[in-house]
Amino acid sequence: MKASDLVYETVSALRANRVRSLLTILGVVIGISAVIAMTALIGGIKMSLVGEMGLSQARLVTVNYWGERKIYMNDLEAMAKDLSDDYETILPMATTSTNVNSATKGLQGSIYGTKPAYFEVMNLNIVQGQCFTEEDYEDGDQLVLLDELGAKNLFGSEAANAVGKTLRIGSSEYRIVGVVEKSGGDRGNESVNVYMPFTTLSQRITASNSIETVFAMARSEEDMDGVATRTKQWFIKRLSLTDEMADNDLWVTTSKSIIDELNTMMSSFQALMTVVASVSLVVGGIGIMNMMLTNVTERIREIGLRKALGARARDITRQFLLESIFLTLSGGIIGIVVGYFGSYGIAGLVVNALNMTSGSSVTPVLDLQTMLLVTGICIAIGVVFGYYPARQAAKLDPVESLHYQ
Amino acid sequence: MAIGYNRTTPAPTGGQVLGAHPAPSTSSTPVIDVRNVFRIYESAAGYFTALRGVSLQVMRGEFLCIMGPSGSGKSTLMNTLGCLDTPTSGTYLLEGLDVSTLSDDELAELRATRLGFVFQSFNLLPRATVLRNVMLPLTYTDIPKSERTKRAVRALTSVGLPPEYFDHYSNELSGGQMQRVAIARALVNDPAVILADEPTGNLDSATGEMVLKTFVRLREAGKTIVLITHDPEVCEWGDRTMHIRDGCLLSDEEERAVVEAHGGTGRGRT
Repeated sequence: MKASDLVYETVSALRANRVRSLLTILGVVIGISAVIAMTALIGGIKMSLVGEMGLSQARLVTVNYWGERKIYMNDLEAMAKDLSDDYETILPMATTSTNVNSATKGLQGSIYGTKPAYFEVMNLNIVQGQCFTEEDYEDGDQLVLLDELGAKNLFGSEAANAVGKTLRIGSSEYRIVGVVEKSGGDRGNESVNVYMPFTTLSQRITASNSIETVFAMARSEEDMDGVATRTKQWFIKRLSLTDEMADNDLWVTTSKSIIDELNTMMSSFQALMTVVASVSLVVGGIGIMNMMLTNVTERIREIGLRKALGARARDITRQFLLESIFLTLSGGIIGIVVGYFGSYGIAGLVVNALNMTSGSSVTPVLDLQTMLLVTGICIAIGVVFGYYPARQAAKLDPVESLHYQ
Repeated sequence: MAIGYNRTTPAPTGGQVLGAHPAPSTSSTPVIDVRNVFRIYESAAGYFTALRGVSLQVMRGEFLCIMGPSGSGKSTLMNTLGCLDTPTSGTYLLEGLDVSTLSDDELAELRATRLGFVFQSFNLLPRATVLRNVMLPLTYTDIPKSERTKRAVRALTSVGLPPEYFDHYSNELSGGQMQRVAIARALVNDPAVILADEPTGNLDSATGEMVLKTFVRLREAGKTIVLITHDPEVCEWGDRTMHIRDGCLLSDEEERAVVEAHGGTGRGRT
């Protein structure tokens, strides 16, 4: 029997029992929708959280140190030299909080001092104007960038024209050269994030050369754990730390370690969902087996006829097996569609449930690999639960089948 | 293939065994050659012998009727001739090929290419069109799709079904039309023999006559037909009639002798 004949026979047999076929695949549809919705949602949440933390760069290493002996620019220069195989970019970061005043309004501001490469490393887009340059950094020029929300808080309807305006921080004036997209969480209407060269911050505002946080971009994401270990060792040696001091005051974290942690958390949730979905799929599979057995009984005469007309046992097996595979496969495809669109609905609820910031949203993520896996599982269910009925059909005696009433 | 010819070409005529009952106007090689066939069923109630040493030769182009009451073994004989059942002992040569040595798959292949079945209850697939029903046996052969439609149309034309019915679903047809579709289905693979099991059993006499005329036309076109019935009137349409009684096959003369010996009832033979 040719493949095209098999497909024709299968489709026409299933079309003859449309309602029953649809009801039968419901179990599979529910199981697959649940798996797809949860997988898409977990993927979406992961993407969203990772994006929100500014960790979409898997090569980022963050070093925090709170000990007595501070970190200074010369430490970073030494680090860049010693760990040049590991890192392509190393950035200083110092922060402080102080009042930030525009011509009309004063707000509490978080001031970040860093290098121009910070925005690229952190994946922050500059939406207006431009960044200060390396030269500005070297000179300690009084140039700043604001975050979008902060610009709105400071300038209201004039926020779109923030570039070129001046801010007063302490006793000095600073020119706004750019605005970066939303960063950090929802801080309400009363604050602003200000980014300026590290040199400007240390000379004009904090009067301290110490660096609180080091952001370093590794050359490759292959061996992030190794890079982090070498970095930690380097700082321990450089700062002459005891084990205890290193444990308490020095933190070296990678995006990967945070993503791994997130993965562990999500995978236990996913495992639970898989169990629930598997039960649903087994129940769905049994439903399909039941329907196929009924199908065989109802079509005994047809089977007898086909055998009389020359069908071999394997032709009959293939025909009925293909029917059950078609059922589970169509259940799977419907399940993928329902699950994917369903996950958009659930995504809204998740944002509220996880207390995620108002600006963020979860976009379900469904990759091809998952869809292929689900399709494979559906075919497997069709084969496993369809084989027995198909064999029963193939084993029927043609003489008895033809006279079956 | 193990049985010596493939699914697309007709089998060559086989052995040279001469028939015991040569029929008029046929060639000398029997299409069906059954020799001393026994069919014994085993069940919880014990052994039941359905065929007792049946021998039968059917020549090419012959229209043979086999008549017998219910329970006489005619269905078992039909199933044996149709390769749906194999003899317990004895030999059955179909076009010279010894059927008893074939595997299930080979028997299926034989049914797909060399045998055509016509059943009392038509056995058409209700969800398929007339054309699709007629093409059904060809789906189990290697005949290409383009050729299948041609063959089906030819078969339907030869049984006299008007082309406007070709796209109808089989359950939209009358009984006579359904049986003609079933005959077309039996013809479509150009079989060595058409086996008809009570083909007029579900039809009124006028429609039944029309169906029988179709068989006569096919016989005139050179087809070999074996028709099983319990109706003596149907037998008048054939070239020759054999009688089956308690699993034994009798000629017309033997049957008359038995009937006379048992006071005209024909019963009581063991």
